Amino acid sequence: MYFAAAKSFDEWFEDLQMRFVNDFITDNRWKYLWNGLGVTLKITAGAVVIGIILGFLVAAIRATHDKTGKLRVLNVLANIYLTVIRGTPVVVQLLITYFVILAPLGVNEVIVAICAFGINSGAYVAEIVRAGIMSIDNGQFEAGRSLGFNYAQTMWYIILPQAFKNILPALCNEFIVLLKETSVSGYVALQDLTKGGDIIRGRTFDAFLPLIAVALIYLVMVLILTKLVSILERRLRSSDH
Amino acid sequence: MTTKKKKKNSADNSFAAIEKKIDKKATDAHEMKPSEAVSSEGGTMSESLIMVRNLEKHYGELHALDGVSMNIEKGEVVVIIGPSGSGKSTFLRSLNLLEVPTSGEIIFEGVNMLDKHVDINVHRQKMGMVFQHFNLFPHMTIMKNVTIGPMKLLKVSKEEAEKRATELLKRVGLADRANAYPSQLSGGQKQRIAIVRALCMQPDVMLFDEPTSALDPEMVGEVLEVMKSLAKEGMTMAVVTHEMGFAKEVADRVVFMADGKILETGSPEEIFSNPKTEKAKQFLASVLS
Ligand SMILES: Nc1ncnc2c1ncn2[C@@H]1O[C@H](COP(=O)(O)OP(=O)(O)OP(=O)(O)O)[C@@H](O)[C@H]1O
Ligand SMILES: [Mg+2]
Repeated sequence: MYFAAAKSFDEWFEDLQMRFVNDFITDNRWKYLWNGLGVTLKITAGAVVIGIILGFLVAAIRATHDKTGKLRVLNVLANIYLTVIRGTPVVVQLLITYFVILAPLGVNEVIVAICAFGINSGAYVAEIVRAGIMSIDNGQFEAGRSLGFNYAQTMWYIILPQAFKNILPALCNEFIVLLKETSVSGYVALQDLTKGGDIIRGRTFDAFLPLIAVALIYLVMVLILTKLVSILERRLRSSDH
Repeated sequence: MTTKKKKKNSADNSFAAIEKKIDKKATDAHEMKPSEAVSSEGGTMSESLIMVRNLEKHYGELHALDGVSMNIEKGEVVVIIGPSGSGKSTFLRSLNLLEVPTSGEIIFEGVNMLDKHVDINVHRQKMGMVFQHFNLFPHMTIMKNVTIGPMKLLKVSKEEAEKRATELLKRVGLADRANAYPSQLSGGQKQRIAIVRALCMQPDVMLFDEPTSALDPEMVGEVLEVMKSLAKEGMTMAVVTHEMGFAKEVADRVVFMADGKILETGSPEEIFSNPKTEKAKQFLASVLS
């Protein structure tokens, strides 16, 4: 019994080694993961930038409308945007952006994905930012206006810096989610991290190691980012200003 | 103290006068009576600094201001008293349009503040406001709190803004806290900073809405002292307060409000020792007991 188990473990381990070499070393297949990781990070970073810009813009429109009743038309557009984006799956949005809108124009796939994920993320960022703006005491707003700042200046110098501090952790979490969501980029012929693992699986007919490796890489990135957010959160809490 | 302020020709005021001339040019089109510019030391009051006519404010069904009319002269200290919910805050906040009146007129330095074509932001720069809850900007140092207005709005250089701010901080005894953040200050200190923040804009009038109501009793005095010294220097002030001692000592005029109306107005002696209306009698009995 003992020998049988030992023997099968040795066999299993040897087999694993062989598969490891076949999956990652032969033909430099690890490069599928490495390059895929690069694509994933590129898409995420680009989408974060678009998401922040779009999100703050939409939040500013919505908050301005809530506070002053101005910007009626823009507010309606913003609401449509939020409803559509948050009411449909991101994969569908990605496919539509690619096949319906941008592929016919011959736009690069990475750009397509950055746009699709950025527009998607913007909707979630907008709601986070709006909640942040609304959480600032109205007295801050009045103090700014009483000095003579106009609405936009009050937002820019007084409200947004405070709101930003409050929402920074929530924003970072949104971007961690975004990092994971880009794993569907393979749908539009992009070789991101997930697709990289899948390509190896196709070459070697071994699903286990490549996909576990992909999962591990995501997990490590998410753990690192989560840790950074919690450090950030503690820093923000310990400083009252 | 018997010194009742006469408009002083302090450095502050002459500075303010220069600025006002500049301001006037910009708003010429909306001026009602250009003659106001002649007001000077000992000159006749051809026009009040602020003239309020028939101010009405409705919050839905609620009639918060019911035909309020009042003049505030240059250099005058007007203290507004009255029971809770009588419309004191609503009135004060209407003066710089933090609350937009339903109807009526507010003429400030000859400009009709409710005129659609008036840039309210320019005129708010001339009306400092101090709030019950200080409303300092928590993400800025004290120095930044008091200089951001002059730097961004009056386009004063950083050096000049800080120099002026330091002088004013010294006057309220807080020059050493310039680099602290608001959260590191006591309530009384915060309110003194809030006063400095408003003063740094070199306003022509200061509006105070219960500036000491949120303070621990032992800190009320330090804030009132600052306000007294301002009054002595000839600053025009409109003060909503429950500090009757302050009203008696500093006010040129006391205004008693109830139910959105001004029921009585007169010198502190007249109002406190000889109130005419039943409501004022009741109110004074309750606060002076
Ligand atoms: N934003 C608002 N919406 C609805 N009602 C309001 C609003 N602000 C004030 N009111 C009402 O208007 C009336 C006058 O309020 P105001 O704050 O001017 O009174 P006050 O004299 O300052 O009272 P206090 O001494 O309690 O500060 C009150 O009945 C109040 O409830
Ligand atoms: Mg009040």
